[in-house]
Amino acid sequence: MSVCQRDDGTIFLEGDCHVEDAQALLRLVEAAPTSSLDWTRCTYLHTAVLQVILAVQPTRIGPCGDGWIQRWVASR
Amino acid sequence: MNALHEQFVAEARELIHEATNDLIAVEREGASAVRIDRILRAFHTLKGSAGVVELPAMASTLHAAEDLLAAIHGGRLRITSEMIDQALTCLDQVSGWVNAFEKHHPVPPGAGDEARLMVAQLRDFLPDSPSDTRNLEDPRSPSDEGALPEWVSHLLDDARADISRYLQGRARDIVAISYEPRPACFFDGDDPLALMRVLPNLLAFQAEAREPVAPLSDFDPYACNLRLQAIAGGSRADVSAIFRLVPDQVRIADIPGEALRAWMQRDKDDDAIKLVRAILEEQKRVLAASPEGDDRAARRGAVVRTAVNALRHHGRRDLAAAIDGAMTSGFAEVAPLISAIDAALASLATVVAIGDAEVEGADRNAEAMANGPPPTRLLRVDERRIDVLLNLASDLVVAKNSYALLASRIENELGSHTLARAVKREHEVIERLSVEIHAAILQLRMVPVGQVLRSFPRLVRDMSQRLQKKIEFVTRGEATELDKTIADRLFEPLLHMLRNALDHGIEGPAERLAAGKAETATITVAASRVGNRFVLEVADDGRGIDPEVVRRKAIERGLLPTDDLQKMPEDQLINLIFAAGLSTAPEVSDISGRGVGMNVVRTTIDQIGGRVSLSSTIGTGTIVRLDLPSSIAITRIMVVETAGQIFGIPMDAVMETVRVPADRISRIKGNDGFVLRDHVVPICSLAELMDLPRSEPRLSDVRLLVLIEFGGRIVGVEVEAIRDRLDVVLKPLQGLLAEAPGYAGTTLLGDGKVLLVLNIKEILQ
Repeated sequence: MSVCQRDDGTIFLEGDCHVEDAQALLRLVEAAPTSSLDWTRCTYLHTAVLQVILAVQPTRIGPCGDGWIQRWVASR
Repeated sequence: MNALHEQFVAEARELIHEATNDLIAVEREGASAVRIDRILRAFHTLKGSAGVVELPAMASTLHAAEDLLAAIHGGRLRITSEMIDQALTCLDQVSGWVNAFEKHHPVPPGAGDEARLMVAQLRDFLPDSPSDTRNLEDPRSPSDEGALPEWVSHLLDDARADISRYLQGRARDIVAISYEPRPACFFDGDDPLALMRVLPNLLAFQAEAREPVAPLSDFDPYACNLRLQAIAGGSRADVSAIFRLVPDQVRIADIPGEALRAWMQRDKDDDAIKLVRAILEEQKRVLAASPEGDDRAARRGAVVRTAVNALRHHGRRDLAAAIDGAMTSGFAEVAPLISAIDAALASLATVVAIGDAEVEGADRNAEAMANGPPPTRLLRVDERRIDVLLNLASDLVVAKNSYALLASRIENELGSHTLARAVKREHEVIERLSVEIHAAILQLRMVPVGQVLRSFPRLVRDMSQRLQKKIEFVTRGEATELDKTIADRLFEPLLHMLRNALDHGIEGPAERLAAGKAETATITVAASRVGNRFVLEVADDGRGIDPEVVRRKAIERGLLPTDDLQKMPEDQLINLIFAAGLSTAPEVSDISGRGVGMNVVRTTIDQIGGRVSLSSTIGTGTIVRLDLPSSIAITRIMVVETAGQIFGIPMDAVMETVRVPADRISRIKGNDGFVLRDHVVPICSLAELMDLPRSEPRLSDVRLLVLIEFGGRIVGVEVEAIRDRLDVVLKPLQGLLAEAPGYAGTTLLGDGKVLLVLNIKEILQ
């Protein structure tokens, strides 16, 4: 599982996040729309997961562990 | 098998069918860009899904096929029938792997070798390096110099610093990419960002939603709604190669050196306009600040000089002259000068405004196109779930009947008319609802017959090539719907009918030409709805069936007494070809001729409650007509009584009921029979057929017969009484009884009793 939630509500993306993680992420965000997203330990972000993040615009914690996303998406 | 694997199998089959049909269409009607495009996409999607479910052999085979198709798509190769053959063989191979995967995934061990062989065969067609995709450039993207599309300028603005760093004053290739992945691309295993990630020298990137983002509750994470845009340093060919599999979803625009210079220039222009505007605004403030005073003439002179210089420097001598003119019209007045400056400001602004308006217009058009009707989304549901629902709804239909009994009990036992009427009213409401629910669920089981027909173009093509006959295969009414159970059973009879038509019905090209017919024969499969019946006709324009040949063969085989056969009219004779073991073919081929096929047709169609008939004209052709119930779930039955028991007989089988006085019945060859409209109708007793004790008919009795049409003949089935005619929901026999012959199923009656419904034709057999 690359998507999980800590007790304080922060949602974690960890390791390679594949297409099926989009649904999991959406479910967590739906349940708690104000959750922050920690993606520092995400090593690869699939397009579908990025699409959810762009749609939800959660408060993001730290730089994205996926360097390409950090360079071209996060820092813009 | 998990959901992903199931989806893969279902979609792969769908894609294989689509690609097969398109390949055959290309062979028949020639290659069109749209078709090749569709075929390429089907292969690409198949390859993507093969990757997702980890079938490397399949993925590599499809990859090779894709390279071949890409070369055809790009115009580097002309498609030949050998290539089509190879592509079809490749699809056969893939189809085999999909079947194997469904049964026991992963695929069998030999797959790797098969794949390598197939890849080599596919690559043989390619003249040079398969990775050369230079010709796959998007023809829609502007390759003309100068004008840059708005989205490109927008991206360029975004990447100003990076671009100038990349160029460092040298002329280098830069391309802009706008990629709008198909909404279903995730299901094809695509990861659109992955393509962006491999772009060389990425200079700018942005991802945005194509259409307004739905609220979270409606948000579909698996529908791609993104537009990915980028600027990259590199040649168009390099970038095209990256996007070669999604050419329909990407726009690639060269940004030639000149355009880039123009853009930089335009950029400078923008800054210059801002500066001129600022200067003019400032001059207006100067004029407004001190309208009166001694130095006003000098001040106005300075204002005019500054404004005129700024405008001249910017190349707007026209505006400069206008301000100069306002000055000479009189030093005393400030107003003309201010209005001249306003006019100049407005004129500078107009240019910008027109530009904006055009951009907005273009955006609106794009938006209007994007907001077309949303695509229909389909939900795959396991058939068994629908059957559970159907059973529940069927039980509801039966359960509601008890209200009618309840109402009559209230009336009879309690004597309350009012209450009985109230119960009856409620009964009517529940009856209407339960029937509607039932009908709605039945609708879920309806599938277009096209699903069954779609594999036939390929089969007909292969068979006609083997038989060296030229066939035009036409299907009509593919959208006509019928119950899935019936549709599933149709394949085999249809296959036999088509084999027969191809092998025996259709003459060879030489024979056709000699007979004055077109060299290419036509086989038409036409589906239609007649009332609540589904009718499928297979027609060929071949040589037709000679009734005399049938008569001779039937006599040889001893199919019926020779006397009967000699007297039998022609239309009945040709229907004998449905009898077991009778073939009119002079020789047995690998396609047909064993006299089994048409018998299978009749048996299968009988089992699903249908009728099959045949008409033929020598020299003109043959039509086989299948008349089937379009839905098997509700059956109209006749309830009959014999030896104190009741049975149901499907009305489909019943021709008519007759009462025959005993004196019209005579014993013929140990069997009872009577003459009806010049035909001898044998009589069987239902009690005897069902092994029930039977009371000997007395001579004075009038006997009650249900006439059944069976194998081209009419048989009278004797019963003691005929009760109701009912619409019932038939349930197949379960458990030990499931294999019992002679029963169509059971149904519950309103009083809770179980009624056995007979498959009367099977019993008569």
